[in-house]
Amino acid sequence: MKLKDMFKKTNNRSHYISLKTGRPEVPAGLLRKCNKCGAAIIAEDVKKGYYICPKCHGYFRIHAYRRIEMLADEGSFEEWDKDMEFVNPLDFRGYEEKVARLKEQTNLNEAVVTGKVMINGNPAVVGVCDGRFMMASMGHIVGEKITRAVERATAEKLPVIIFTCSGGARMQEGIVSLMQMAKTSAALKRHSDAGQLYISVLTDPTTGGVTASFAMLGDIILAEPKALVGFAGPRVIEQTIGQKLPKGFQRSEFLLDHGFVDRIVEREEMKGVLTQILEMHSGKTASCAASDTSAGEAVGSNIKKDLTAWERVQLSRKKDRPVGTDYIKNLFTDFMEFHGDRYFKDDHAVVGGIAYFHGMPVTVIAQAKGKTTKENLDRNFSMPSPDGYRKALRLMKQAEKFGRPVICFVDTPGAFCGLEAEERGQGEAIARNLFELSGLKVPVLSIVIGEGGSGGALAMAVADEVWMLENSIYSVLSPEGFASILWKDSKRASEAAEVMKLTAQDLERLGIVEQVIGEPEEFSEANLDSVCRDMDRRIEAFLEKYCAMDMGDLTANRYARFRRI
Amino acid sequence: MIGKVLIANRGEIAVRIIRACREMGIETVAVYSEADREALHTQLADEAVCIGPAPSSESYLNMHNIISATLISGADAIHPGFGFLSENSKFAELCEQCNITFIGPRSEVIQSLGNKSEARNTMINAGVPVIPGSKEPVFDAETGANTAAEIGYPVIVKAALGGGGKGMRVAETPEEFTNSFNTAQKEAQMAFGDDTMYIEHFVQHPRHIEFQILADEHGNVIHLGERDCSVQRNHQKMIEESPSAALNPELRRKMGEAAVKAAKAAHYTNAGTIEFLLEKNGNFYFMEMNTRIQVEHPVTEWVTGIDLIKEQIRIADGQTLSYRQEDVHITGHAIECRINAENPAKNFRPSPGTITDMYLPGGKGVRIDAAIYSGYTVPPYYDSMLAKLIVHAKNRSEAIKKMRSALGEVIIEGIDTNVDYQYEILNHPDFISGNIDIEFIENM
Repeated sequence: MKLKDMFKKTNNRSHYISLKTGRPEVPAGLLRKCNKCGAAIIAEDVKKGYYICPKCHGYFRIHAYRRIEMLADEGSFEEWDKDMEFVNPLDFRGYEEKVARLKEQTNLNEAVVTGKVMINGNPAVVGVCDGRFMMASMGHIVGEKITRAVERATAEKLPVIIFTCSGGARMQEGIVSLMQMAKTSAALKRHSDAGQLYISVLTDPTTGGVTASFAMLGDIILAEPKALVGFAGPRVIEQTIGQKLPKGFQRSEFLLDHGFVDRIVEREEMKGVLTQILEMHSGKTASCAASDTSAGEAVGSNIKKDLTAWERVQLSRKKDRPVGTDYIKNLFTDFMEFHGDRYFKDDHAVVGGIAYFHGMPVTVIAQAKGKTTKENLDRNFSMPSPDGYRKALRLMKQAEKFGRPVICFVDTPGAFCGLEAEERGQGEAIARNLFELSGLKVPVLSIVIGEGGSGGALAMAVADEVWMLENSIYSVLSPEGFASILWKDSKRASEAAEVMKLTAQDLERLGIVEQVIGEPEEFSEANLDSVCRDMDRRIEAFLEKYCAMDMGDLTANRYARFRRI
Repeated sequence: MIGKVLIANRGEIAVRIIRACREMGIETVAVYSEADREALHTQLADEAVCIGPAPSSESYLNMHNIISATLISGADAIHPGFGFLSENSKFAELCEQCNITFIGPRSEVIQSLGNKSEARNTMINAGVPVIPGSKEPVFDAETGANTAAEIGYPVIVKAALGGGGKGMRVAETPEEFTNSFNTAQKEAQMAFGDDTMYIEHFVQHPRHIEFQILADEHGNVIHLGERDCSVQRNHQKMIEESPSAALNPELRRKMGEAAVKAAKAAHYTNAGTIEFLLEKNGNFYFMEMNTRIQVEHPVTEWVTGIDLIKEQIRIADGQTLSYRQEDVHITGHAIECRINAENPAKNFRPSPGTITDMYLPGGKGVRIDAAIYSGYTVPPYYDSMLAKLIVHAKNRSEAIKKMRSALGEVIIEGIDTNVDYQYEILNHPDFISGNIDIEFIENM
């Protein structure tokens, strides 16, 4: 039965006499429209919710002072260079009037706000671009304010955080605007040479001359989700090459994939993430849970000592063997992963970042196998591409700058063997790591936790000490490869394994590795704890010894370690 | 003013509200999701506005679309019904900001009664009995035993992070306490990694008794007697009746006074319900206040003769109550059975689909509040309640007989319903004798 229009409607309307008067209406300012999804949303919700659309999770652009409010401890912001004399280097017509009008409209004196803040008690110098002011384009005053802020931070030994957002150079100031790129970059170079930290946070949109200067120079580069970041604007590129650009092109996620961003940080987490980074670079040790004193009973004495080399090869490749990320989770606290090589890509075969070891900041880098096929495909079965080695090297150099020890976990069948790897210089990337690691001015420890496959492993094992797990292997080539080269028969791998001297025990005898760490029988994530407790004690001793060493002795010692072989 | 009401709901309650408005000469606007184009409320109202796709989150819970529909249709008031946005303080606030009359209490009242601990404190301060319990967390059995003695046995020890019955133990006597406490604490430590415990008086085999309240904006508050909703499955009420077989006039007076006190303490306006747990010994404890019209309101309407929806609209319009407490008289006995599209044999699995044929009973003392018709397709997206069958007779046993007879006439073909299950309950000796508590269905 269809009911359509069968019912009688209300007749003799409004015989009810209402006491109330007044018509409904939406008061001005109650609602606003999300310019991402178009939905009407309650303005108050947006304000309270970090200026994020509650419907589509799209980010609203925010004013500089709001940004500082979200970041700074209450009342801690001290603004610098609020009054700067207007300049018009090209005597551009109408420029002065435009700037005057914008000053009045926005209550800003220029497109960037700088000053000093406390972030959860950590002092920092901040610069925040404000897109309302000529799309935060960089003219003399923007460049000058940033430069002055950086110079003062260098002098006062304070970290710098800049929230970037810009259309690029300010056309009205012509060549003077272009020079700001050099000026700000030069100031950041001095800041960096003084061993000071700079974090840039890319927000929507960061383009042109700002991208090609201070935005991309952070020791650590963070980005807000889906922010447009690029040098040339997408419209200009499309017109130039006559092609449609792919979806997501030049967005933060694209930059992360391409190795230019360390981390994408949601707005609500920003203060927390910045706090953690600042604390890790503050020179203070973190208060951490006291290390487990019951630790340190070496495992492994109960293991069958008479395993054949081939059996050990198979154990080292076993599917449920703990992987790099498991060790990171177990041995360190507050691990913060950083991505990308800053050249081309973020290689998922290498995982790296900063963490605390017993309250001391350390750089941790692991060649990472996956636990599932899907994860392994993503991590390329822990076969790093040149981008992976370059990411590792970038993090090692960062550790050197900030005086953090480096701890590497080696677990790779070998460097990735493929077309793209050769195109981007696999050999060069490995060589560069050997070259740089040999002189790195901080303690380096490498632990082979599974397979130590050839140059791909060595690129992360030019260290002060190299340790191996009892059933890990380390060799010039896989036994299969060895057999096929020498005997033209990869099926004789088990035979090859016996003659190659690739087990931890053999390598310790040969003086290639310093320590062999015992494993429980049936080693898996379930009993990783016992191994990590032993490892923890050994790492503590390692750091105690090598952190106390003079840097000259440290590198000389590392040189000698390889020189004698 | 109230000249046109938008009903921000669906199903039988939307139909019920449309009928009340129509009788008052107030125009009605229905809102509907894409799945409810053919629904009775959509067809019955003077106007209907589509507010989004089938999922409730995008339609019946979509505040902005509902506000937009109100403004576009020129309605001046919103009746939220029950469920959906009815107890959403944010929605009520939005209505207030847009000068739309929200037919219900003020947003801040919804907010503060929705906060369990705030509501509990309000009631304690007003002298309304709540379940006695430890105010501070307890960490050891010795302190716990003292607290338990103050509260009065039996007590229940509960983990602060508890859930699913873990970390929960009842101690009937002081002798049992230490053992119960330690077992519960150990369990809590194992399950949640936290051994913070609370101790509460254990309410044994309680009945669910609730009092209907009406409060106007001029400080007048009355109660319309109780409803006994002890017949429930998984906290879902199945049968409600008024008056309760467990209350004598003296207890009714005491509980009614407490309910009025509670509503006054909360600065409550419009129709609301105070839920109590009633113990066999006559002790009763405030549980929560529902800040909306309830599914089971017809039983109260029938024994008091008061149209609750009309009163709601009048109160929201700023009028004074039409009744004083002494005008309220309970006459006869009313029972309501909820008829749901579900299959009791398959663990009450919802049974959406097309109703191919149906017949619903009528006659003296039989009321049907429904949103179904022959050929109607019950959508799978929403609550499975199809209809409410309400009967009224001069006493409880007559009412039970009438309900049995009426249930026997209900024919709904094409989908599964719980009608036979309800029929069984009506024939259960414990139900007939009125010997029920909230565990009745579980033990049936």
